[in-house]
Amino acid sequence: MQSIVDHLVSDTIATSLPLYAPELWLCATIVVLLLAKLIRGLDRVDPAFIALVGSLIALSTTAPASGFASLSELQPAELFTGMLVYDGVTIFLRMVLLLFVVLLIVLTKLTRLADPVDGQDFYVLVLGATLGMCIMASANHLMTVFLGVEMASVPSYVLVGMIRNRRAAGEAALKYAVFGAGASGVMLYGISLIAGLLGTAHLPTIGLELARLDLPGLMTASEQLGVLTALVLAGLMISVGLAFKLSAVPFHFWCPDAFEGGTAEVAGFLSVASKAAALALLIRVTMAVCSPVGEAAIDRVALVDQTVVVAVDSSAQPAQTVESRSPLSPVRTYVAMLIGIAAAATCTFGNLAAFGQTNIKRLLAYSTIAHAGYMMMPVAALAGLTGSDPMDASQAVASVLIYLAIYLFMNLAAFAIVAFLGSAMGSDNIDDYGGLIKSAPAIAVSLVIVLASLVGIPPLAGFLGKFAAFAVLAKAGTPLTLTLLLIAGVNTVLSLVYYWRVAKIVCLRPEPTTRGPLTLGVWPAAYTTLVTAPLVLILLFPAGLTNLAEAAAAGLLP
Amino acid sequence: MYLLGHLLTEPVGVVHYMIVGAVLFTCGVVCMATKRNALGILMGIELVLNGANVNLIAFGSPYLRGAEATIGLDGQLMAMFVIVLAAAEAAVALAIALNFYNNFGSIDVDRANQLKG
Amino acid sequence: MNPAATLPAVLAIAWLLPLAAFAVVWIGYSLPQLAGRRPGATAQRFAGWLATSAIGSSFALSMFALVVWLAYHPLGGDEHGGHGAPPSYSGDYYLLAQFGELRLSIGYYIDALTVAMFAMVTLISTCVHVYSMGYMDEELHEVADHEVATSDGNYLHRPGRYHRFYQYLSLFSFSMLGIVLAGNLAMVFVFWELVGICSYFLIGFYYERPSASTAANKAFIVNRIGDFGMLIGLMALWTSLGTLQFGDTQLTARTSAGHVKMVVPIEQGIFSKLRSEDQHYHLDASAMVRSAETDESAHPGYWLLFVAGLGIFSGCVGKSAQFPLHTWLPDAMAGPTPVSALVHSATMVAAGVYLVGRCYPIFVPEALLVVAVVGAVTLALGASIAITAFDIKHVLAYSTISQLGYMMLALGLGGWVAGLFHLVTHAFFKSLLFLCSGSVIHAVHSNDLRHMGGLRHKMPWTAYTMLAGCLAIIGAGVPIWGIGFSGYFSKDAVIEQAWSFAGANPSPTYQLLLYVPIAGAFATACYMFRLWYMTFVGEPGHPHRFENAHESPPSMVGPLVVLAVFAIGVGWHTPFMSDLSVTSILEQARPAGTQATTSGTLLTELTLPDEHLSHEPEIADPASQSAFFAALLGVLLATMIYVWRWLHADEIRQSFAPIYKLLSNAWWFNELYQWTFVRPTLALSRLFASIDRWVIDPLVNGLARLFAYAAKLLDRVVDRGVVDSSFDALAHGTWDVGLALRRLQTGRLRQYMVFLVVGTLGLFAIASLCWKYALAG
Repeated sequence: MQSIVDHLVSDTIATSLPLYAPELWLCATIVVLLLAKLIRGLDRVDPAFIALVGSLIALSTTAPASGFASLSELQPAELFTGMLVYDGVTIFLRMVLLLFVVLLIVLTKLTRLADPVDGQDFYVLVLGATLGMCIMASANHLMTVFLGVEMASVPSYVLVGMIRNRRAAGEAALKYAVFGAGASGVMLYGISLIAGLLGTAHLPTIGLELARLDLPGLMTASEQLGVLTALVLAGLMISVGLAFKLSAVPFHFWCPDAFEGGTAEVAGFLSVASKAAALALLIRVTMAVCSPVGEAAIDRVALVDQTVVVAVDSSAQPAQTVESRSPLSPVRTYVAMLIGIAAAATCTFGNLAAFGQTNIKRLLAYSTIAHAGYMMMPVAALAGLTGSDPMDASQAVASVLIYLAIYLFMNLAAFAIVAFLGSAMGSDNIDDYGGLIKSAPAIAVSLVIVLASLVGIPPLAGFLGKFAAFAVLAKAGTPLTLTLLLIAGVNTVLSLVYYWRVAKIVCLRPEPTTRGPLTLGVWPAAYTTLVTAPLVLILLFPAGLTNLAEAAAAGLLP
Repeated sequence: MYLLGHLLTEPVGVVHYMIVGAVLFTCGVVCMATKRNALGILMGIELVLNGANVNLIAFGSPYLRGAEATIGLDGQLMAMFVIVLAAAEAAVALAIALNFYNNFGSIDVDRANQLKG
Repeated sequence: MNPAATLPAVLAIAWLLPLAAFAVVWIGYSLPQLAGRRPGATAQRFAGWLATSAIGSSFALSMFALVVWLAYHPLGGDEHGGHGAPPSYSGDYYLLAQFGELRLSIGYYIDALTVAMFAMVTLISTCVHVYSMGYMDEELHEVADHEVATSDGNYLHRPGRYHRFYQYLSLFSFSMLGIVLAGNLAMVFVFWELVGICSYFLIGFYYERPSASTAANKAFIVNRIGDFGMLIGLMALWTSLGTLQFGDTQLTARTSAGHVKMVVPIEQGIFSKLRSEDQHYHLDASAMVRSAETDESAHPGYWLLFVAGLGIFSGCVGKSAQFPLHTWLPDAMAGPTPVSALVHSATMVAAGVYLVGRCYPIFVPEALLVVAVVGAVTLALGASIAITAFDIKHVLAYSTISQLGYMMLALGLGGWVAGLFHLVTHAFFKSLLFLCSGSVIHAVHSNDLRHMGGLRHKMPWTAYTMLAGCLAIIGAGVPIWGIGFSGYFSKDAVIEQAWSFAGANPSPTYQLLLYVPIAGAFATACYMFRLWYMTFVGEPGHPHRFENAHESPPSMVGPLVVLAVFAIGVGWHTPFMSDLSVTSILEQARPAGTQATTSGTLLTELTLPDEHLSHEPEIADPASQSAFFAALLGVLLATMIYVWRWLHADEIRQSFAPIYKLLSNAWWFNELYQWTFVRPTLALSRLFASIDRWVIDPLVNGLARLFAYAAKLLDRVVDRGVVDSSFDALAHGTWDVGLALRRLQTGRLRQYMVFLVVGTLGLFAIASLCWKYALAG
């Protein structure tokens, strides 16, 4: 008993807490924000400032102890007795999320969304949701998966409904909350089933157990079919929760309504941060199931059991070699196919349904759905590659990370522009965006650049992200991934329609007569330029980002 | 039929708990999908979460599963976490439902059809 | 200091300074004019100062180069005596291209002739630049050109073009120095053409006048005819010898890092190839053919070398206004007088003579005979016409033609130093004469000699400097004491060589080549003093103009004095270092092997005597005396007619009426060329133009119309009908699918929850199918 306690204490204090520093700083900031109203001097400080300082400190502590140069040699470490994992992906995702939060706080300061009176509620919710997303990104146990998903979602429900008097906000919050609660409930049930079936809720151990379960043998023996069915169902239920977070088809229904009802800043937050965390979680679950640590040993054991002896024909046919099939390959194929089909359906649906939209936020919601589809495709390739080529598998993870980083700037810029224009014009209708190229040229130009980047036109950054993803698909080379590549290509063409429609209205249509004069200060333009600039510059200096992503992904596979 | 008879005559094992959990889950899902009252939907959500809880408790018990197939204390711990999360979620969802009532004047979710397309 | 490095650098800077001045004036003044800004008078004057200071600095640098040369190559020492190659520096400034063995480069060949020519050209150019500051001052303001009438009957009013004059003068100086400095014939050719273009610009300076623009065209076209022959000569040399470089180049093989790896033996220039050291510098035509011919009597390569020499000479015929391409020079007097002084008396027309002198080693004796004959004909032609001309500048133009004939004659007869010495002296006194005539024209506002008279009281400086020039050109001097004006020495050298030649070639046809220059000396004296008397002596021909005449400003008189000093003294040896004179400098540059008496190979009786033999007393004394008496007789005749009035010019004119008509119409060469060349060419071009308009144009237009029709058809049928409609259908289909999918989002929460459940079950169904497939493979 004593040794357990000692072990626990030493593990927590010596290993886990230092590596958990960013999240601890976020907690501290939340506490300070909550208590700010009570302390004499602190209540006059703008809560945005407190939140900004706190998140900047948290961002600065994300750097690994040995520096970024040796990121690729970082050994994954399990925190809090296996609840969380600390590796390159964790670091990368923390940086993405915290950088995004910093920029979001600056944005809300510029649009005056959270006034100093009840700004603390807003920032507490944002930081709380970010905390949940960080947990999602480093989850190593089904409990933390659920915990992270819930912790990220519940504050988001409130954020969507933040503006109390707007009917659309209330409606959107209700739909989002109910749908989200339902999806996470289903996911929890699936978690419970898996935990029961495999005897563990620790993700790597689940993978090992799956390998030990000898699924091919299970398939042939018909009396174990019930176990198989239960496994499939449980896995599906877990994927319902993941699909909800990713807004994958057919669990995307909350997305357009939540984006339209909430403010543009909150929509941006949902669009970038929660998708990033959801993708990281997807990668974690996929990796755990398809390529758990220590699989090599299992492989050899399984090989001995699985030696297939083929009768040697007397007519001197060459003897068939022993099939070196890993016991996890059916899992890999299944997972790859599932994710692949979901990705294809998602991006196609997202692109097609965006055609006739009149509300810019709804259009961006469907665009978010479509991009989630594009980002899921390398994960599908990853599932297949984990068995055959570890180098390409880490390349697949790296491509998702690159896409995420670029996606951050693209969507943040888009939603920032929508926020500025919305507060200046009072409308989110796309037709009201006419003639912006004359009234607000800096923002209009940034908008066109962002739209072009979302399509993926070189030399903007979106091209780099899409290229990385498509390169992984092409390299994997299986029929599934090549079909995905084709579908992604067609979808990129389709996406041109609705993105370019907005650009056309901005540049070529005259100013609508119903709109009043547009006055935007210098700060909105400056902020927009700051956030759009990376889109233009990244393709000139891609090495920094790609090297970081590859180093982060390198430690993931054994 | 055979399964039902088997279940009613056997000593209480993990299967019985699982069936209770499954029934709770199904009731909850049906409630979520069909209720017009927003509070009714929230009750459905609670039912779903509790169904999963029953499952977790059952899997965590060394008496029901046997010493090596059980997930041990993880089951109880996970159930505790879920209860806390369910409570938090319920609080938030109730606040949102109240906000909805303030805006729309009714708790009927079918009235929430402004955002579509 | 290393002369091999210093001299090329100094001369290169002197060469490029006028180009810099041109560039500054062009960019600073002419280019802004395209944008509509006109420089004011002060700014334009600055352009003049800039150009003048540039060429003045070039002159200073040339003198410095001369001093350096003389320091390293002292005069008087018999360095070669005709039996060795003259001291020279040759090399490349910049390699343009290399095709196998053939190298095109911007390079230099510097010997004593180069240095002397540099000094002369820059000095005269500086004097002309200074002179122009006074002469062209009317161009500073708006000009009313009285020779051009506009359509509404008034005279043309146009803005002044002062800076453009200096722009072209600078460019011209640059081009002329380029010819002098050039190290290979290709570079010579490039700058040859450039000089022609500058001449075109300068002659056509008053381009609104039809006379000026026509004259510019004529000059350029006639020069091009000569250049055609020059190209043939160049091609012959290049294909046979494989190089166009004058001197030898020390090639060094370089590694890519630029370090000298090893020294490759010298690549020979044309001089070394044709007159190699082991042949004792005799002209060896067999270098022109590559294959070894055993038949020595067939003289391999001799005809080719003869043709090459003639080709190069034909370029000189055009440029130096020799017969038959002399018709452009009188018309070129339509340009401003400083242009005539610089370009058409001292430098450009001298370029032809200079090139013959430079390429002297490659002329076979038969080619030199052709040169001499052409020179003699030109000499006579020019002198004969000059006697009858009434335009002061035309007299000087024909005089230039005649003197150029002298130079060519001298070179052709083997007198290398004589011909080039006459070039130098002629440059000084002819430019002096032109500038003086310009001064007179500026004062009297007329070119006609009949409007002038008695001007020496009004313009003493001009009159007496012009007198110095006239005395120089006739070769005034005292034979016994051996002193005289500069022309005395140079003309005597020419006649001495002619006397020596006549002595060596007794045949009567060759004797003519002696009589012609002596008669020419008589005629020269005659028409030059006719000019002087009609201008400065006697009654004014036009009282009104006489009233308004005045001496020119100091900016114009100063250069006159400077040039007069040189016109008098450039033939003398300097008092302190009695070895220094133009002749001794030129003697240093004598090409190898040209001093010895040579005989022709095809015309075996042709003998070109050694030039030093012409200085022997038995040849020199009779020659100079006959030249002296010829000149004296000419002066006497002119004085009799125009001063003492013993004979009357009108009576002489009437008695020799047919001859007078012939001479005053310039032997009708212009009309001859007009009928035999110009009109047929114009008729031919009209024929081709009509073919173009009536045959080719309709064909091409019809074809274009056909294609346009086919394209329209294709557009309507294929593009619009097939391609467009299919794409439209595809687009509409996709749009409709998108709109249909929108309807999936019903907005009803309960529907969403149902989709949640249905979605899960549906996925389960799909998954079970996938699972089977997954397990199978």
